Amino acid sequence: MTTPHPPAKAKSRKRHHWIVRVTHWVNVVAIIIMVGSGLQIFNAYPAFARKGEIFCCYPFEHKPIPDWLTFGGWLAGARNWHFAMMWVLVVNGLIYLGFVYLHGEWRDLVPRKGDIRDSWQMVKFYTFRRKDHPHQGKHNALQKGTYFALPIAGALAVLTGIAIWKPVQLSWLTNLFGGYVWARYWHFIIMLVIVILSVIHVFMVFAVDPYSITSMITGNYDPALSPEARNARPFYHLLPPRRTPPAAPPPTEAT
Amino acid sequence: MNDKDVRKFLSINGIDRRDFLIGGSALISAALVTACDSSGPKSAEPLLRFAERKNRTVERKLFRHTSMDVVQAGAHDAGNKLPSYFVSPTVPVWDESVRGKWALEVSGMVGQPMRFTLDDLQRLPRVSNRVNHYCVEGWTAVETWTGVPFSELARVVRADPNARFVDFQSFDDDYHESWDIESAMHRQTVIAYGLDGKMLEPAHGAPARLYSPVKLGYKNTKYLTKIVFMPRMNGGYWSDRGYEWYGGV
Repeated sequence: MTTPHPPAKAKSRKRHHWIVRVTHWVNVVAIIIMVGSGLQIFNAYPAFARKGEIFCCYPFEHKPIPDWLTFGGWLAGARNWHFAMMWVLVVNGLIYLGFVYLHGEWRDLVPRKGDIRDSWQMVKFYTFRRKDHPHQGKHNALQKGTYFALPIAGALAVLTGIAIWKPVQLSWLTNLFGGYVWARYWHFIIMLVIVILSVIHVFMVFAVDPYSITSMITGNYDPALSPEARNARPFYHLLPPRRTPPAAPPPTEAT
Repeated sequence: MNDKDVRKFLSINGIDRRDFLIGGSALISAALVTACDSSGPKSAEPLLRFAERKNRTVERKLFRHTSMDVVQAGAHDAGNKLPSYFVSPTVPVWDESVRGKWALEVSGMVGQPMRFTLDDLQRLPRVSNRVNHYCVEGWTAVETWTGVPFSELARVVRADPNARFVDFQSFDDDYHESWDIESAMHRQTVIAYGLDGKMLEPAHGAPARLYSPVKLGYKNTKYLTKIVFMPRMNGGYWSDRGYEWYGGV
């Protein structure tokens, strides 16, 4: 008895290795819990100034974050979640980075000469100042920049986090970020950067390339449905099909 | 449905976009509603406690007697901006007419259990440390604490080298916190009776309190009555109420 060959996939092909898919979704959970519990911790002292001082650079001192954005219930609960989930975030991040390095995927993500120009072309395309989708590799230039920046932001979030976890035992690290007060501020700002990039990412997934959700679950992706192939702008796929524009009237000859 | 149709259905082409959007947003909303100001699933409790134990091991490994807290250049003293904090309904004050003269009892695994009056403490070697106060809430405050280094007190009572933990008890209701001996023996850990050049006031733990920048504020018991050297830890007021026991910085 022979094993039948797996059915040939006509169009779709593997886009994401299972390690990338698993670490992606673990990361989703880890980031949501880290941000939620972090904001709950922040609400215990929603300010940055050392007691008896004024902090220059935060306009919302002593204004708590809305409850619905927090996780952990109270300070101790949130701290317990934060200090447990931090290991998941770090180990998961290291697995992802190790895989991307060893498997060669980093080539799709490292910035190259021309990425800035290509990013500008993407902006022009999304703002209807360019007709056709710029040619791209696995990701467009804006995605590449984001996916390259996020691990760096993640590493900075971890380092600033360690700096405010151990300001005495690891004071050299805390001093590197300008001392405890500033390290705590940078930890907050990096969180904001990660949240903003993630919100844009999720928006663009739904607005431009919803097929990529399947590819991040099953790994399969049909290149014929890529945003480049569909010339997709945000929500392009949700608009009614475009009617063929009426043929331009033949130029009338001047008589 | 023939085989080709099934394949087609299962391929990404066949999955309906609308289902995706609806299902996806439903999942996300469900996740958000569950996360709404909750403490998370109860089933996660054992995992969180496991993580705390592991963190404690990591933190004790990171601890160095040579790591000193240094106040940043240009940092201002908190002065009267230092928050006052206690668990009793009102500021705990030692009433001599009711309880007699205050004394700090040091006992447990020691060669010579002793009671120290405030005068006794002041006769012991004295240090003044201008250091940071790291509150669990996230704020810090610079203050100068004057008192007896804990290591000096341990020497005077001939603490047993096998004692691994120390309990610091108070007359602020049942407030107490136990420490690992390493953190207690750190050079910046003092039994403080002075704050910013004046004798400690009831608002900040008079007659004497524990003060060290190597632990979060809640570990630094105020209104001290008793110090006990122990072979095992025995929790603490906040440690028993959900805050991590180690609480080191």
